[in-house]
Amino acid sequence: MRVLIAEDDPVSRRILETLLCSWNYKVTTTVDGKAAWTALQGPDAPSLAILDIMMPGIDGLEICRRLREPPVSTSPYIILLTANRGVREIVKGIEAGADDYLTKPYDREELRVRVQVGARIIELQTKLAERVQQLEVAMDHVKQLQGILPICSYCKKIRTDLNSWEHVESYVADHSQAEFSHGICPSCYETTVRPQLESLEIARTLEGPGK
Amino acid sequence: MTSFGADNNQRNGRQARHAAPAPAGAIDAVDMELLHSLEELQVVDDPDLIVELIDLYLLDAAQRVTQIREASIATDWVLLKRATHNLKGSSGNLGVRRVAELCEKLERMDSRDSPQTVADLLQLLEYETTMASAALAAVRQRRLG
Repeated sequence: MRVLIAEDDPVSRRILETLLCSWNYKVTTTVDGKAAWTALQGPDAPSLAILDIMMPGIDGLEICRRLREPPVSTSPYIILLTANRGVREIVKGIEAGADDYLTKPYDREELRVRVQVGARIIELQTKLAERVQQLEVAMDHVKQLQGILPICSYCKKIRTDLNSWEHVESYVADHSQAEFSHGICPSCYETTVRPQLESLEIARTLEGPGK
Repeated sequence: MTSFGADNNQRNGRQARHAAPAPAGAIDAVDMELLHSLEELQVVDDPDLIVELIDLYLLDAAQRVTQIREASIATDWVLLKRATHNLKGSSGNLGVRRVAELCEKLERMDSRDSPQTVADLLQLLEYETTMASAALAAVRQRRLG
């Protein structure tokens, strides 16, 4: 997983880079807000960003706001780093769009687990996005019958969206995954088929054998 | 677990073991235990990380102190805040405690504070930065030995 570090203090930046590399993350470092913003706009942008709040150019809060502006498609998981410990600072950071917040001086183990949480959430989001995409593709192939269908009371044809009339059989076949196998129900057999068969028998009898 | 800002009363003993000769005022300028805890991050066969961090700090701190001095002369409170904030961060990372504390005080200064207070703090900051730099330079020299 790629992680962006945006930190103008060279000592802090080098320590962060060393820590993250030792935890097997691929690290990109930037020295100010503008460079960080550019790195996060690229086609292969890091999915997790550790941003110092106070930076020259664009500060960390402003980067958060810009990243969370709609329409948000893919946006990185953001951990804000600052030397300010006040609750108001934390609230401001989270309201600006940060996912997490660490104050300097930070504990290395705390940073490690917080980055791990970020990585886990990114992984879940990626899996979820893939699943949604799969479902969307599947939905395109599913035809549904829904809503009120206008049907002729006599011939039982159905009026289509194009204002033409179709046999129930072909309409249902076009709007669902159903396939038809043909048969005769007992009622129709009695009322329709049997009389036809009987009339055919009578005709044959009247015509006599050999004719 | 090691906190970058952890406080420990037993550090002086360890400091004496690690530090090379430095000016008297430099003895307490750097929290040596915290500085040497960064050895945990050293990657085998890579250049000495602590030396690299000290080099970065010495260069950056000198620039920041100049910025702070210029900002105080120009009463540019935004620049003063930014430069002291930055120096506070890097100092805290390397255990340069007194510089970090002075930066925190200077960071809170604004137009309501008397110019004399700012000037006094700045003078103290310059002194402490010099002491810390001497202590770090001694560590650097010893490690490159």
